[in-house]
Amino acid sequence: MTTKKRGTKKSKSAKKATAAAKKSPAKRSPRAAFAVATDEKKTTAERAKAFAEAPLATIASDKSLQESLNVLRDRSQPIKVRLAALQSLQAATFSVIEFEPYREDYLAALRELVDDPDAELRQRVLGILSREKDGYVQKRLLEGLQDTSKALVPPEKALQLLSYDVHAEAYPVAREILNAPPNPEAKREALRLLSADANSAPVFEKLMRDKDEDRDVRQISAAALQAVKPKRFQEQAREMLLDDKEYDDIQATALTALEQFGDEKAVAKDQKLMDRVDELGKGKSAKVKKSAKRFMSRYGGEK
Amino acid sequence: MDVEIQINNSPNANARFLIWSPTRCRIRITNPAGAQGQGQPPIRISARTTANSGSVVFRKGTTGAFAASLQLGVPVNGNWVEFFAAGQFGRPSVSLNDVQIQAKHGNGNQVIGSTPCTVRIRKNANNLTPAERDRFIAAFAQLNNQGLGRFADFRDMHTSVSSPQAHGAPGFLPWHRAYLLDLERELQAIDASVALPYWRFDQGSPNIFKRDYLGESDNLGTVFFSATNPLQFWKTDGVTGINRRPFFNTNNPTGVRTEAQTLALGTTYPNFRTMEGNPHGSAHTSFGGSISSIGTAARDPLFFLLHCNVDRLWAKWQRANNRFNPAVAASFDSGAWPIGHNLPDTMWPWNGITGPPRPPTAPGGTMAPSPIVTAPGLSPRVRDSLDFQGKISAPACMGFDYDDVPFS
Repeated sequence: MTTKKRGTKKSKSAKKATAAAKKSPAKRSPRAAFAVATDEKKTTAERAKAFAEAPLATIASDKSLQESLNVLRDRSQPIKVRLAALQSLQAATFSVIEFEPYREDYLAALRELVDDPDAELRQRVLGILSREKDGYVQKRLLEGLQDTSKALVPPEKALQLLSYDVHAEAYPVAREILNAPPNPEAKREALRLLSADANSAPVFEKLMRDKDEDRDVRQISAAALQAVKPKRFQEQAREMLLDDKEYDDIQATALTALEQFGDEKAVAKDQKLMDRVDELGKGKSAKVKKSAKRFMSRYGGEK
Repeated sequence: MDVEIQINNSPNANARFLIWSPTRCRIRITNPAGAQGQGQPPIRISARTTANSGSVVFRKGTTGAFAASLQLGVPVNGNWVEFFAAGQFGRPSVSLNDVQIQAKHGNGNQVIGSTPCTVRIRKNANNLTPAERDRFIAAFAQLNNQGLGRFADFRDMHTSVSSPQAHGAPGFLPWHRAYLLDLERELQAIDASVALPYWRFDQGSPNIFKRDYLGESDNLGTVFFSATNPLQFWKTDGVTGINRRPFFNTNNPTGVRTEAQTLALGTTYPNFRTMEGNPHGSAHTSFGGSISSIGTAARDPLFFLLHCNVDRLWAKWQRANNRFNPAVAASFDSGAWPIGHNLPDTMWPWNGITGPPRPPTAPGGTMAPSPIVTAPGLSPRVRDSLDFQGKISAPACMGFDYDDVPFS
């Protein structure tokens, strides 16, 4: 009886799922969806949804690509529709072979939008072009950092976008921002951009050890120092672990780094450090205890 | 009496892994003292499990139903007797060696031999236990080793230059299946318990986008990690950190085709592979940041979980429509496609071929070998990716399975 009831329920559920799939907009042909997406008589929601539905319809032909680009460029179109068009076109770029004939037109259209009045659209466009290592956009972003009246996006965003293709000319600007950051986010992003710059190691070290610094800044500095000067990082991490006034989360970061990427020989023979980690593992902080446990497990010091 | 049990017909501990697809195992008597029966004492094989552990089922030959236990006559002369074991669907392992395959003599309760094993299955990333999650993250962080590790090859395999080998044509799904498998095997070389998890981009995934897991994004798109998460040291292309800004509510995603809609795209591969646009492309571009552009997507570990779900959808579609056999037309999209997208073509970069029409370099070398299967070979062809469970030909089994795609 029970089995029969269950069977019936499952069958209804399966039928419901099939019906839902049949009714769903996905059953609309890509061409039909595209017609809705580009029809100005339709509501904003309908058009945005239709764009999202069938990305490949935007590149079904040169005509459909141009229509999509027209929607994207047209400042009189609802911004939600323009953003949906951008997202759909960008999704189509993943079908590389099919997209290739339209790639140059697409990138050219995006370059036209770097000064668009809508901040969200501008930011997304700049992101796509930055990831394409677009020289024009890199130049404009750098100019905006050097002269705020020319800024296309806030400095923290510009730094983040420049980090997709780090060039040495970005380093001096990032260092300036690090020295006199307009906000905490800009300081953070400047640090990230500089993380491949071995010359910045002393700055990373200073920030990592500074207990008055923001936790995120210290964490990024630790990661950057670990990457460019691992031996120096290990020495500093050791000091931070031995310091009983150091913050828990920073000690957990130091432990995690040593456990994952530390110099096994140097760490394993450091009895003072081992004893200290053993002690930290018995402390109150869950984060430190977790990191200490993993550390002791790796270095064979479990007691 | 004592017996020896081998999984994958190997004494190697690295071979003690099972999936839903059947695995060759064998048993022999190593000490016949106390054996009862004429020349072939009856031996019962079963799995010792706990409430949350993996579980295993058995059968004698290559066909037939699996059962919780299996009775075999095993000769006292020490000759091997073969049997098949598989993970019990719905009961994957949660930790290494959490199941024991054990042997008992006749109807007795005394264990005369056992071997530990793991039912290693790709799972929904949102549902991993904290321990599974931590092991996966730690293995991934070590593979990358702050941009200096083997992961750099995987980063270099998926770039704008190489993308025509992997996108926009029928080889899209086979190439990414091989790519994920190669990465997964490298992760398993670091921690054998790890299986690549998948991100259900059509479902809320509150656990994944947290600081303890793949990180939490701020409005700028900078991803933050907890102090215990080794991904805080993630570095690719010389830059520390990950950029990822969701354009959707990660607890309730919209704008990406659901699983039901994707599976309903059609019963032939040309129809199904349109999923490359939506949900695949749409899932990528549901974020700002690295993952939303083809040349930078592999900088973000989430990329591999996204593609694992794409592959799972293909696996589910294959099962629903019986599309494992490359000889069946509807299983693939045959035609005059660019090189790397036709069934007989070898796939770059594992084939090592460079220069037009292939990319100028072939990072990473051949496919990582597996201690449990031989497929898809060191230089896989497109056709080698289809029969991933070994349904058509057992040796074609690639050694992975999904938690919601059974073998039978």
